[in-house]
Amino acid sequence: MAMMLYQYIGLVIGIVGIVYTFMRFRENKMSLGMLFLWNIVWIVLIVLSIFPEATVYFANLTGIGRGLDVILILGLIGCYYLIFRIYNMIENIEQEITHIAREIALQRENADLDEKEDEED
Amino acid sequence: MPGEPLKKQDTPKLLAQVEEDIWVIIPAYNEENIIGDVLKELFSRGLKLVIIDDGSTDRTYEIARAIVKDNPGRGYLYHHPINRGLGATLKTGIEACLAKGADIMVTFDADGQHNPDDILPVSQPIIEGQADVVIGVRDFDDMPRVKKISNQLMNIITWIFYGAHVQDSQSGLRAFNRKAAIALDVVSREYGISSEIIREIKHKELRMEEVPIETIYTEYALAKGTNLKVGIKILVKMIRDVFK
Repeated sequence: MAMMLYQYIGLVIGIVGIVYTFMRFRENKMSLGMLFLWNIVWIVLIVLSIFPEATVYFANLTGIGRGLDVILILGLIGCYYLIFRIYNMIENIEQEITHIAREIALQRENADLDEKEDEED
Repeated sequence: MPGEPLKKQDTPKLLAQVEEDIWVIIPAYNEENIIGDVLKELFSRGLKLVIIDDGSTDRTYEIARAIVKDNPGRGYLYHHPINRGLGATLKTGIEACLAKGADIMVTFDADGQHNPDDILPVSQPIIEGQADVVIGVRDFDDMPRVKKISNQLMNIITWIFYGAHVQDSQSGLRAFNRKAAIALDVVSREYGISSEIIREIKHKELRMEEVPIETIYTEYALAKGTNLKVGIKILVKMIRDVFK
């Protein structure tokens, strides 16, 4: 059976995704866990692009009507999970920044009180 | 100072006796128009000041620095290199006071909305050992309608989520003793700090008193503080805290 255009697009995105993920990992910008997780996502994308009929199996398994719906639902859940992770990460970073800002402030008590006379009101 | 209640007209005389002990924490963010007057007034009463500039982008820090310099040994100035919100700023102030061995701490907004005459009445229950925390209660009837409603709403929200019913959960004028300051375990960086303090009073079983205070509503002060947007942010934060 000849492959449809969307199958080629899915294949290319999957391969680019894997290459990019590995590059990030090599530059130490991604943890081993995230490398693992992302590669599973890309591999699933490639497999489903080549064998789209495989989704029908999952659709029957989960009771969701069509194969494409399963993919969309899983994709959405995956997105929400990532947003949740990112949200927590940002919150942690915010707290760390606050901690640093407060430490700097406390260490520099009455700093430069004797400088910049010209700026007095 | 046992016995009779302190009245506002007695303030200057009595302040002279306890001035050494009261540390006023002033969180400031972009208050260049008014902070100079506020600080000069408080220094003139012999109070000790801990001023925290929360990464202001105007001349707040420079103005505060000049005034602190004119009052050596009585003012301590701190500067967050970046803006981190009211909650973080109050925490820095409390930590600084504790490091200085303070026994009585009063938080006082830098926007000129508080009357310095209220500092002593708010501190009185602490001085007399009758409370660990005192909340200055603003008169809601004096408030513009929107402020009044949003403050009442915040009281209800604080009550629902933190189970503590107080007359003015968002007041900026409060007093703590050392025990309370150490006990407070708060994480809010923004305006949610006010409700969190109320929660901590209840959780840590601190003795609280509420003292009526005056609020000076200038147009300048009205533009700041808790508005609807901030209120919604506090609400979201509280809902999250419940699920933690």
